[in-house]
Amino acid sequence: MQHLTDRPAIEKLAPIKVAILGAGRGGMALLDLLHQIPSIEIVGITDRDPGAPGLQRAQHLCIPVTDRADELVSNHGVNLIMDVTGDPAMERFIHAHKQSTTEVLSGSASRVLWELVQREANLQAELFHAEKLAGIGSFATGIAHDINNPLQLIMGLAENLVDETDLKAIHDQAQDIIEAVRRTSAICRDLTQYARKTSTRDDAMVPLNNRLDEALKIARYATSFHDITVHKSYQDGVEARGNPDEVLHLLVNLITNAVQAMEQGGGALTLATEKSTHGVNVRIIDTGCGIEEDLLDRIFEPFFTTKEPGKGTGLGLYNVKTLVTKMHGKINVESRVDHGTTFTITFPLPSEGQS
Amino acid sequence: MADFTSGFFMPDQATNGRVLIVDDEADIRKVVRMTLQKAGYDVLEAENGEKAIETINYGENRLLLDVLVCDIRMPKINGVEAIAYFRANYPRVPVIVLTGFPDTDMATSMLRQGVVDYLVKPVEGEKLRESVARAMEQRELAHLQ
Repeated sequence: MQHLTDRPAIEKLAPIKVAILGAGRGGMALLDLLHQIPSIEIVGITDRDPGAPGLQRAQHLCIPVTDRADELVSNHGVNLIMDVTGDPAMERFIHAHKQSTTEVLSGSASRVLWELVQREANLQAELFHAEKLAGIGSFATGIAHDINNPLQLIMGLAENLVDETDLKAIHDQAQDIIEAVRRTSAICRDLTQYARKTSTRDDAMVPLNNRLDEALKIARYATSFHDITVHKSYQDGVEARGNPDEVLHLLVNLITNAVQAMEQGGGALTLATEKSTHGVNVRIIDTGCGIEEDLLDRIFEPFFTTKEPGKGTGLGLYNVKTLVTKMHGKINVESRVDHGTTFTITFPLPSEGQS
Repeated sequence: MADFTSGFFMPDQATNGRVLIVDDEADIRKVVRMTLQKAGYDVLEAENGEKAIETINYGENRLLLDVLVCDIRMPKINGVEAIAYFRANYPRVPVIVLTGFPDTDMATSMLRQGVVDYLVKPVEGEKLRESVARAMEQRELAHLQ
């Protein structure tokens, strides 16, 4: 991406080759963080426990997993060994086997690193939540509309019931009131679920068609869908591994953007899912104003926005990209001014042996 | 819809005036109709600004429409655009806004454009009927001028 070229030349050097010892929570967090950094290459990971969660994650990311810690440590290609086993004996083992040029991060140094990784993860979670809440501020119009309309219906019907004598009419209108109350309470249920802080529960297989439908419901509060036709092209059973709340959050962001791009004159919103041999794809396609070519490279940058001041945080697409990357997916955008924009997210296929 | 001649010369029944309610939700049009018919008004409905413009330009309505009750958030031609059209082409027809969104900026801007009342849903029947009655008086005054 464009902005990376402005960085110091160090990133253009050969990647730093890292071996990770320990695939517990610490090892897995390191993996998740390091594999996103282009200048770092993870040459392997190992753990005494073959069931350690980081080993599964590594396989998923196509990072070599080995049960031979000695081979990994003595590997000539390794620049840096990161020991997150927490085992004091490991330090002696490393120094006995490693090449003289290989550097080691272990003991309290790796604990400091672990704390920093944790802190980074917490800050990221706070940022997601803050951006989500900022977005909910713009729901006020949609919520007011969707609550006050049923209330008007309830008011009108109840006023009429005071002196209505026809039994059939009384029955029908009472039913209409009950239905209106149900509609109104559904709004509160949807929004409180969406607004809650993303749970820290473990990742699960997330049904993407269902998430798209839920996101569409939430996005209707965020922006007006007048003169927008919605098409769905779902393949059955398309799922990806991730956090269901985070998937919802990123889809709400993309759908809201798509609809806002069609504010002038309406258009068509297409939501599509498909499985291929390479992964699962989610597409969000609009026929709106499009994005100018010279801005395309910048849309995922933090605080970049084309919306009026006060209307966008500039963090929406940045968070979308971060969440997609966290799920080991990729996001791609194609756009033509005055024709529309297509966002394609590709998630890896759920690998064998994962539930 | 009544044809031009019968409606113009001989309304089906004596009414207190003709009101056009513009709202994209059929349920809302239904209850507003119920509320206004109780006060003896003849009620027409339109589901968006485009239909409202068609309705007011249709036959006798051009002359016999007394008051417009209009929502803001609607598809096709929205309330703001429709109201601008009515104010420009039918300045003697008073417009009442009935909206789900309590927005003071919008209310101020609408009142500046000559809207006679800005009501936020849910509005009580009595209040809506009072507002329409006041608008009817204005309509009569406008005729006398």
